[in-house]
Amino acid sequence: MASAGFTKMAAAGIKLHPSCRTRQERFGLLFYDCKGPRLLFAATGTLLPADYFGTVRRRDEFPAGTSESEKKALQKFVTQLLEKGFLHEQ
Amino acid sequence: MSNKYVEMGMRSPVNLTWEVTQACNLRCSHCLSSSGDPAKNELSTAEALDLVEQLHTAGVFQVNFGGGEPFIRPDFEQILAACHKHGIMTCISTNGTLITPELVSRLASNRLVAIQVSLDGAKRETCDAVRGAGVYDAAIKAVKLLAATSIPASINTVLTTHNADEIPAMHELARSLGVSLRVSRFRPSGRGADNWESLRPTPEQLISFSDWLAKSGDVRTGDSFFSLTTQERQGLGLNLCGAAKLTCCVNPTGHMYPCAFLQSDRFEAGDLRASSFQEIWDTSKIYASFRNLRIHSCEECTRFDQCHGGCPAVAWHLKNDINGGDPECLERCVTSIADNRLAEAA
Ligand code: SF4
Ligand code: SF4
Repeated sequence: MASAGFTKMAAAGIKLHPSCRTRQERFGLLFYDCKGPRLLFAATGTLLPADYFGTVRRRDEFPAGTSESEKKALQKFVTQLLEKGFLHEQ
Repeated sequence: MSNKYVEMGMRSPVNLTWEVTQACNLRCSHCLSSSGDPAKNELSTAEALDLVEQLHTAGVFQVNFGGGEPFIRPDFEQILAACHKHGIMTCISTNGTLITPELVSRLASNRLVAIQVSLDGAKRETCDAVRGAGVYDAAIKAVKLLAATSIPASINTVLTTHNADEIPAMHELARSLGVSLRVSRFRPSGRGADNWESLRPTPEQLISFSDWLAKSGDVRTGDSFFSLTTQERQGLGLNLCGAAKLTCCVNPTGHMYPCAFLQSDRFEAGDLRASSFQEIWDTSKIYASFRNLRIHSCEECTRFDQCHGGCPAVAWHLKNDINGGDPECLERCVTSIADNRLAEAA
């Protein structure tokens, strides 16, 4: 709970965590967290470019041309990446 | 761990071990690479920097530097800087004896570096028996210097029969110094092969370490402890050998191998002076054989999904057979203890 006098700042967006890296593989994106080290294999195909989360993005922001059903799947995926610490809120 | 994706083949390793020199100021009795004098014809500065460019192009995320003692190389900080310029993360495995306040403050200016200092016992005499007189004190001094900075630092311990009982105390020691503990598996390669019988942990020690590890989630392990990993730690690391699939090794003269523990002519994948890094990764027959390696003799084991046959390097060094399964996996430790008890009772 926020203490009296403070309100929680709304996060401006999401970004790749500084301890993480991504690259394109045949199946989609490979995420690497050097703390661990941990890997995450994301079967995103070519939906997201490898450097997509290198800049701050809104949670519902995806490349132009992404279909509604793809957006839904990607939103779930973003939530998972945030939970697992590969992305962080800024 | 998604084996399905690993089996599809990665375009390059996610991380690799680069032994930048064979030179070392110590002569540890378990040294995997028999370090001491530099190797003849080690990669020059220009060759090393060219390799960094190739690793960047290949998309390698992290380079784990070892040796020898990496800080002996006069151009080592230059090689590090080249990696960092490209955002490649680096982890340096050092014996700690060459760490000075000046070096630490230079390294601390970069957020892409992590350092592991080797220490092989909670007690001075246990550590120095393996690493040499005075090394315990020097390593502790190095850890203290690093712990005072933002550099992620850890103590790295090779589990042997002599320090197996001190591992919980090492965990405490690491905590008290403000760093983490990482435990590596002792493998019979390099000088470790010559001293295997006197240093190898007993099956009982391996099992009790495995139990302790299950309760110590913050302790990190080297890459091949998964064959000793209990259910509790599943998901904390790999559950299969990553050699030639997710990782590989470059030696001081630019020869490539599946992993640091398989550095012999039999396992040479290529020479960076003759072919490019990517070419070797993509076309080496040795790498292809590791990617296709299936330990059929382990498939009936109840733990197969947890370890997939364990560490081929240990299998090779102990049985001369990479297809035979890890001779010191949890299952085989349990069986060997039971066999011994039966033999004693008979
Ligand atoms: S184990 Fe490390 S410190 Fe010891 S001799 Fe080998 S390279 Fe040197
Ligand atoms: S051979 Fe053993 S040490 Fe080498 S990567 Fe495989 S499991 Fe790890």
